[in-house]
Amino acid sequence: MKTLLIGEYREGKLLDSTYELFGFAAQLGADTAMLLVGSDAQLPAYGGTLYLADASVCGEYSPDLHKQLILEAVQKENPDYIVFVHSSYGWDLAPRVAASLKVAQVSEIVGLVDGGFEVGCCNAKMRRTVKPASGRGVLTIQAGAYPVLQPGGSPAVQKITAAGGGSLEFVGYEAAEKKDVDLGKAEIIVSAGRGIGKKDNVPVILALAKALGGELGASRPVVDAGWVEHSHQVGTTGQTVSPKLYVACGISGAIQHLAGMKKSDFIIAINKDKDAPIGEIADVLVVADVMQFVPALTAKVAR
Amino acid sequence: MEATRQIYWNIGHGVVIPMYILAFAAVGVMLWGFRQRLPIWRQGKPLDRFDRYDERVKRMITEVFSQVKIYRVTDGGLFHSLFFWSFLLLFAGTMLVMIQADFFTPLLQVNLLSGEFYKAFSLVLDLAGILALLMLAGFFIRRFVIQPKGLEIVKDDYIVLQLLFAILITGFLIEGARMAATELQQNPALALFSPGGLLAGQLFTALTPDALLVTHKILWWLHFVLVLGFFCAIPYTKLRHIFTTSANAFLAPFEAKGSIATINLEDESAVQFGAATISDLSWKDIFDADACTSCKRCQDRCPAHTTDKPLSPMKIVKQIGELAESNPAGSLVETVSQDALWSCTTCRACQDVCPANIEHVNKILEMRRNLTLMEGAFPGDEVRTAVSNIEVNGNPFGLAYAARGDWSDGLPLTVMEQDSDVDILYFVGCYASFDKRNQAVARNFIKVCAAAGVKVGILGKEEKCCGEPVRKLGNEYLYQMTAAENIEVIKAYNVKKIVTTCPHCFNTLARDYKDLGLDIPVEHYSTYINTLLNSEKLTLTPEPFNFTYHDSCYLGRYMDIIEQPRAILSRAGGSITEMDKSRYDSFCCSAGGGRIMAEEKMGSKISEARIRMATETGAPLLVSNCPFCLTMFEDGIKTGGAEEVLRVRDLAEIVAERIAVTQ
Amino acid sequence: MKLLVCIKQVPDLESRFKPDAAGVWYNETDLAFRMNEYDEYAVEQAVQLREKLGEGTELTVLSIGPDRVVEAIKKALAMGCDNAVHIQDTAVSAKDPWQISSIISTYVQGKGFDLIFTGMQSQDRGSAQVGVTVAEQLGFACTTTIVGFDYADGTVTAKRELEGGIKGVVKLKTPALVTCQLGLNVPRYPTLPNIMKAKRKEITVIPVADLLTADLLATTTSFHPPAKKGGGIVLEGDVGELVDKVIAILKDKTAVLR
Repeated sequence: MKTLLIGEYREGKLLDSTYELFGFAAQLGADTAMLLVGSDAQLPAYGGTLYLADASVCGEYSPDLHKQLILEAVQKENPDYIVFVHSSYGWDLAPRVAASLKVAQVSEIVGLVDGGFEVGCCNAKMRRTVKPASGRGVLTIQAGAYPVLQPGGSPAVQKITAAGGGSLEFVGYEAAEKKDVDLGKAEIIVSAGRGIGKKDNVPVILALAKALGGELGASRPVVDAGWVEHSHQVGTTGQTVSPKLYVACGISGAIQHLAGMKKSDFIIAINKDKDAPIGEIADVLVVADVMQFVPALTAKVAR
Repeated sequence: MEATRQIYWNIGHGVVIPMYILAFAAVGVMLWGFRQRLPIWRQGKPLDRFDRYDERVKRMITEVFSQVKIYRVTDGGLFHSLFFWSFLLLFAGTMLVMIQADFFTPLLQVNLLSGEFYKAFSLVLDLAGILALLMLAGFFIRRFVIQPKGLEIVKDDYIVLQLLFAILITGFLIEGARMAATELQQNPALALFSPGGLLAGQLFTALTPDALLVTHKILWWLHFVLVLGFFCAIPYTKLRHIFTTSANAFLAPFEAKGSIATINLEDESAVQFGAATISDLSWKDIFDADACTSCKRCQDRCPAHTTDKPLSPMKIVKQIGELAESNPAGSLVETVSQDALWSCTTCRACQDVCPANIEHVNKILEMRRNLTLMEGAFPGDEVRTAVSNIEVNGNPFGLAYAARGDWSDGLPLTVMEQDSDVDILYFVGCYASFDKRNQAVARNFIKVCAAAGVKVGILGKEEKCCGEPVRKLGNEYLYQMTAAENIEVIKAYNVKKIVTTCPHCFNTLARDYKDLGLDIPVEHYSTYINTLLNSEKLTLTPEPFNFTYHDSCYLGRYMDIIEQPRAILSRAGGSITEMDKSRYDSFCCSAGGGRIMAEEKMGSKISEARIRMATETGAPLLVSNCPFCLTMFEDGIKTGGAEEVLRVRDLAEIVAERIAVTQ
Repeated sequence: MKLLVCIKQVPDLESRFKPDAAGVWYNETDLAFRMNEYDEYAVEQAVQLREKLGEGTELTVLSIGPDRVVEAIKKALAMGCDNAVHIQDTAVSAKDPWQISSIISTYVQGKGFDLIFTGMQSQDRGSAQVGVTVAEQLGFACTTTIVGFDYADGTVTAKRELEGGIKGVVKLKTPALVTCQLGLNVPRYPTLPNIMKAKRKEITVIPVADLLTADLLATTTSFHPPAKKGGGIVLEGDVGELVDKVIAILKDKTAVLR
């Protein structure tokens, strides 16, 4: 089986998520070639074929051009699967490639299962097994679902380029709001989710965080509702964290949040729903009312 | 000597015709003043408050003359009632003098005002006058010296009090002057029957007889002019309440308390829903501003106002009047403010205590309707989410509707879908179905029914929110949609009787659903259990406990269910220590008016205030029978730090654990 | 200007999902349905643009599915769409993103639409493909995951939400398609006059067979709950006992408490 992996590059850097593609390919047991629109100053540590386009010429976000480059590489490599990370780059580009090739796309893969791909659905509560009809296709893998794997070595670079403007003009990046909290460095994080009920209850979660000597985190809905500032958001559009202890209070476990914290060493989840998706990655799931359990735990910890 | 007095003594009968002409003129000015108000009131929509005429008249006469609504609150109320009766007596007395002078004497040659009757007449009137003066002094001290919090002082207050004072004083001075000239020396025994005049007369003893006559005449005309002035002032000052407030006793609605107009959603021509400007309110809503005397009793009892939220029911009533007069096109919501409107819990304390029969609550609801239906506004995002949840899953929590009946697994009841042959349909409500604390109430209610041999059915997943909270927030559309679905299901099962453990569902199903086509008996479980006990279908083994009881707004003030829960708890072995604010004066838990779905962001917590009132009784237990109250009190106990001293439980829980074990 | 917004009706995500008889999708009994949350933002943005452009603009809402999707269509109409297209399909769940996209493209083709709004993904299937695929099939410019939108003189300026809170600003010329992310705007709550107006707005019904030209490219062979991962423990019971257990675990398994 042959795969063409599409690497990720942004703001002058090769993204680590690129190596998750190798982790996936390894699980698939497939041969790999890679395409990257990036820079030869930031080559992946990998010993196979690398189709490299210059991001300063082809743009970091220029889907029409990038699609052309990929199609060119597909012509040469004839892979069974073209694999992207399910990121803001991948989910934007993959369907364009799939449509051009008229092949199936399977999105946000979390596992492999008897000849098919396992993906999440219904807010991560359920799973589906999907099979491309033709045994070929475009795949996107869930960010953080596969281990980072550096194959090692130096790539055999084949320079490729494309011309034209494409139908999109990339104007530039807008920096994220200043973070007053760097959750990436925190060793203990206690996060508040929608299950805490209301803004007034945030101090209760914060109290537990303080009692444990950690930082306050939050899921996206809680930040969107204005209960907690964005700098505390954990998840794909917030911060990705890997503390020693992560306590998720009233967080159901939407994929975007899980992706941001599933690498934590030890995860305790408190949720009144026994079947909440967060239970799958939690080391301990406490089935209880957050607002009853957390104050009681804080009180005992503080003693 | 004869016990009588010469009417028009020193004034002369020549005064009669000019007097009557001027009197009619003054009354004319008064009527004209009121007539000018008509176009202002008429800016509001039509409303028929003239049906059942005889009943209305009877009610008005009873309320006005008994002053029962006035002295309900003794602060100010006692003074007013006494003042009113005194003034009424003086007025009646003056009328009697007029009839005597212009009718009995010339036409019948009969002098009623003589002998024992005259003595009694004079004594009663003098005492009335003295009492009136004392009460006036009381008004004055209360308003200007004690200055109760929130009592506004306006120009009117100075004018009216001084006018009344002057009228009464001149009345006594005239009497005194007359008695100084004709009675003090000539008939001292008779003078004793006019103690006020006797006292006033001492002022004139030094005057020469001629000076006395002149003084008397001047005083008489002064008094007459003041009275003319009084009549003219009525429509232009607070004195208008003599007529407008009395009229409100006539105009008060006959509909059941809490009745709200059901909007006809089929009317394709309707462009405005709810009240945006005063022309969207009824004429009665504008008239209420004229009937309001700013007594502030509503404000004092408003749970939102007393916890520093920007709502004052009195202010809203006045603002509507002001807009009607000076800016009829002005926006109601902008004048009153959204914060004030959303703060209302519809507890009805304002309307219940109002001595002027003003209807505060529905004005607020109509303005909320405008906010919700015309602007899609919400008091907060959390409310919008809850309302969305009701749309999608029929409950504010957003929990799957299919799980609504799960709380009842294993309990002795049936789901109507399987077996609809039941004694009662238990309309469970969202809280008892989904909220853990309230599920205990539902389970205990079932236990009680089972013990009484009552076969209970529930709708389970076919039941939806009754729609009450969204209706009170102004969303008449969603209310009617969800109500229609409930009614369809209930009717399909041919239900004969509904019982509910929630006063809000109770009010809505028993009263509001009638407008939408459901007309079957609906009871709240507190009266239902009371009946079971009285008919001995249910017996309790009393176990003593000390408690205080909270009258939920929607049971007490709305439905007059006050004694039955107390009777039940007494039978259960309870000894009650009543809170100061109990029965009709009960203080809201804060969750009515749709606010159960909202966060309390302003002022202090109403639930904590009520918990403080409960702890002040010294009772270790607070009993309520409403899921909103139970939820708010569990909350208030925690946030108010009363966990060590107070516990809250529902009536159903107390009853269920005292069911007598049968042989 | 002609605008289109594509919406999907999905089950309320609080529901308990059970596989259907074929075991390839969820059983629809006892499920409550609502408009896909991402699509609400798409509808709101489309309506805002329609209001801004005023006279001469037409906004159509389109949805594929059985009769129950009319409720979602009506909500979009009540929010401010001018008219609707209901592509009648009782077997919509059996179609893959490629087929769904083809149905939409076939409908759109030749009708002169300038701008299409969709949600970035659906809450049930979540494959995030239909929007971009439709754009590819039609040759429209396309960008995804927008949290900012502006339009002037044939150019769309959009802000894409990227990882880590960064945003990417792009410009594209119409005809274009954008897929919308949560938080793009605040979807309005329909007012009653608009709900009533919506009742009179036209819903064109087209049987899906008229528009279906594509075959399935991918099949779903199973729909199932996730396998319970071993190692994680579930604690239930009295709060006091739970607290003690958790403290014991914290001492034992982590270095957090001593």
